[in-house]
Amino acid sequence: MKKIIVLSLLVISGVFIVGCGENKGDEDGRNEGKQTITYAIWDTNQEKGMKEMANSFEKENPDIKVNVEVTPWDQYWTKLDAAATGESLPDVFWMHSNESYRYMSNGILMDLTETLKTSKKTSLDNFPKNISELYALDGKQYAMPKDIDTIGLWYNKTLFDNASISYPDETWTLEIFLAAAKKLTDEEKGIYGFTAVNNGHEGYWNFIFQNEGKIMSADRKTSAFTDPKTVEAIQFYADLINKYKVSPSADQLAENKPVSFIQSGRSAMGFFGSWMLADFKENDYMKENTDVAVLPQGIKRASVYNGLGNAVAATTKHKEAALKFIEYLGSKEANLISAKTGAAIPAYEGTADEWVKNTENYNVKAYVDMLDYAVIRPFSNETIKVETVETEKIADLLSGKKSAENVAKTIQTEVDDILK
Amino acid sequence: MEKKINRRKYNQEEILWGAILIAPTLMGLIILNIKPAIETLILSFQESSGFGKTVWAGLKNYKKLIGDPEVTQAVINTLVYTLIAVPFIIVLSLVAAVLMNQKVKGISFYRTLYFLPVVATPAAVAMVWRWLYNSDYGIINYLFSLVGLKGASWLTNPHTSILAIAIVGIWSTVGYNMVLLLSGLQEIPKDYYESAEIDGAGAIKQFFSITLPLVSPTLFFVMVTTIINSLQVFDLIFMMIDKTNAALPKTQSLVYLFYKQSFIMNDKGYGSAIVMVLLVIIMLITVLQVKVQKKWVNY
Amino acid sequence: MKSQKLKSKVLINLLLILGACIMVLPFVWMILTSGKTLAESVRIPPSILPEKFQWNNFKVVLDKLPFIQFYINTALMILFRVVGSVLFSAMAAYACARLHFPGRNLFFGLVLMQMMIPTQIFIIPQYLLVQKMGLLNSIPALVLPGIVSAFGTFLLRQFFLGLPDELEEAAKLDGCNVWQTFFKVMLPLAKSGLVALAIFTALFAFKDLMWPLIVNMSLDKMTLSSGLANLQGQYTTNYPQLMAGSLLAIWPMLLVFVVFQKKFIEGIATSGGKL
Repeated sequence: MKKIIVLSLLVISGVFIVGCGENKGDEDGRNEGKQTITYAIWDTNQEKGMKEMANSFEKENPDIKVNVEVTPWDQYWTKLDAAATGESLPDVFWMHSNESYRYMSNGILMDLTETLKTSKKTSLDNFPKNISELYALDGKQYAMPKDIDTIGLWYNKTLFDNASISYPDETWTLEIFLAAAKKLTDEEKGIYGFTAVNNGHEGYWNFIFQNEGKIMSADRKTSAFTDPKTVEAIQFYADLINKYKVSPSADQLAENKPVSFIQSGRSAMGFFGSWMLADFKENDYMKENTDVAVLPQGIKRASVYNGLGNAVAATTKHKEAALKFIEYLGSKEANLISAKTGAAIPAYEGTADEWVKNTENYNVKAYVDMLDYAVIRPFSNETIKVETVETEKIADLLSGKKSAENVAKTIQTEVDDILK
Repeated sequence: MEKKINRRKYNQEEILWGAILIAPTLMGLIILNIKPAIETLILSFQESSGFGKTVWAGLKNYKKLIGDPEVTQAVINTLVYTLIAVPFIIVLSLVAAVLMNQKVKGISFYRTLYFLPVVATPAAVAMVWRWLYNSDYGIINYLFSLVGLKGASWLTNPHTSILAIAIVGIWSTVGYNMVLLLSGLQEIPKDYYESAEIDGAGAIKQFFSITLPLVSPTLFFVMVTTIINSLQVFDLIFMMIDKTNAALPKTQSLVYLFYKQSFIMNDKGYGSAIVMVLLVIIMLITVLQVKVQKKWVNY
Repeated sequence: MKSQKLKSKVLINLLLILGACIMVLPFVWMILTSGKTLAESVRIPPSILPEKFQWNNFKVVLDKLPFIQFYINTALMILFRVVGSVLFSAMAAYACARLHFPGRNLFFGLVLMQMMIPTQIFIIPQYLLVQKMGLLNSIPALVLPGIVSAFGTFLLRQFFLGLPDELEEAAKLDGCNVWQTFFKVMLPLAKSGLVALAIFTALFAFKDLMWPLIVNMSLDKMTLSSGLANLQGQYTTNYPQLMAGSLLAIWPMLLVFVVFQKKFIEGIATSGGKL
């Protein structure tokens, strides 16, 4: 028996020693002239494309190896937070406008301004200004724009055919949209014209901007939710559920994944971001029955857009290699690879057409067309807190418990309080 | 026995061996758990936006917490969940353990089946149960409709959502406590039952006069851990109640709120204060149980 | 008398079957879903049986993820956690239950304390610890938080408290020291408790999701649970593949349980007679 104990203790300590050894190997790699950098992302759908970029970068730079590491969204930020505290961040990683301010203002990200100015491969001018602004603070640039996404109107061709309604196109207004939704709704069969989900990005923000409403004040220091145009838009949105009954109830939408309604033919229309494309491409039902168009027009045209960024850790031990990789990620070449592998619209101007060419089944050009009038996703110093409050309060509106005015007022007060 | 020891002076050898035997666990606990706990306590008096950067805030977080209806509601939700789940878990796992201890054909097959929910990955459990609960096409409402009853939208109705979560909690914990209690039952010498049978005691009487008292140390353990785990309910709510679900405010537990504040809202100071409230509640209940155990646990 | 026995047998069997149905139903659904196409799985109203069982889902999952590596990593993590926590817990539990030394109650208080704290608060401090030790992205990193177990200490303490004193005193009279008494006399008696703890340690480790996801980033150092989490995209979930992956992950654990439960039930049946 004693032997067993001694043995197991030995084994345990053995593992630790081996572990230390392994880790050292990584750092020693530097001395041998070959560096390994890690590139952290959260979307499995894009893993393939990112790996392909890493590969072609490695070919150009044989002394650098790039490890692409995927962590699901829910854990991505917890991990990044812990890693930032412990100064062991991945060398290069994706940034989202939700979190960028916190990371920039705490000095977690490396200032890329100089690199971008002197780079021969890329320049900020190649990217939409609105996207690079998401990752800029006090005149310094902290991330390289990676991709752009817009919101499109997905519709079920079969259901449209059955109701003999012509497919949505750029001539559609909200009136036509509503009339079609009414006609497509068949309560007995449980089929709805639209899914009015509790989601700003893929839902009511688009209606607000189309109605010339506002969400944040110009300086992003206060909320603008009580703007009458905003109130009107969210009222219309809630009416889709409660008054016109062309959408499943808020409860039904919370119970099922909202996307399952369009994927199972229970909803004729829905708003979905371009990032859903990878998923829809894999879905046989979607391929057979659905397509995408630009959003219907309100007082004006609008579609919410956003973009991710590639950032470098301020504490990286492989500064040169990481910067080289970032430069490469900002190059036209890398963006073309991203366009080909398909998951997201690359941010580099002029490469979006390549992205469109790579999707056969769907009219994804609609996503790119909307860039002309797209409105940037609302952001502030406390984006996540603001959005969490918003989602909680809008739930009361969509379930019909409170009026739009009432909810807008609550959001205004609470958001102002957060941003104070 | 305990009293006898207390009167005795410490024995040198026992002190030495005691220190040696607890050393690994003690060290591990201090480094891995107690130190982080103290850090969290300190953090609850600070303001933090993450990355380990903090500013002293005194009692600010606690003041905010007292006036926060969300916290009050979460305390209620947590207690309600515990009150629903714990009695069912204890009784059902004891019944299951007693049944599993019988000489019945294929009993080890049953044991495996009952253990299944414990092995399942949480994500799969959440997904399967969401489907069962679905108000449109879920099996549960279908069964209700067969007997002419109208089911509820279990997960989105604020009146039923906690119950629905508790049922999944019960389902996934019974098999696990069953194994614990079964191992306790296994320690009961068989001849106790034999002599009881000779005395003519029936199964029910045997259960209350032999089984229950002799399994009480394990039962005590099961009770303490089940209550603690129930008070810490998080995973199921996180995976089954969406952020857009109107029933969320009436369902979210204290740990959920802690998670939301600390890891989503990045207000780690406030999150820590919330978890301290939970800790005090758990501590009170556990100390109470340890005090009361002498009345019913048979060592 | 005989008819009564028969009645109770029938009753027991009925109860067992009813319970088994409730326990198993969701798994039947898992298996059925794992054989569906994505479109079938989200059909409303749902189809019960897959039109044609899609073995392909399993193939895709096996292609996408290095399952063999996951099995190995998970097995290693479980092995070391089980060895560490069962051994250390048994030692500490015996001391807590049977030895008299100053600070015993304080120590037991710490044990209870650990169980009272939600594990989420340990994540960042433990990450920082592992990072300082230079162990990020390694098997030891997976093992570390589970190397000692408050749960196990408490569980085994209850077991030792429940054991009769006579044997221990007899051992002392035979001239055994504390360690020998613990190892040769008491430990074998708590066997079913040790096995139960081993099963649960394995299970906790197997189900632990947050920790392996945060501490180990590269695919070849992931466990079954963290690897599976990577199957789920942020926006939607491919249910059939998720279910197929879950089934692939579950079976080894189930096998372990089947093997061990026989052992600990049979083993005790004989030791019970000796008392």
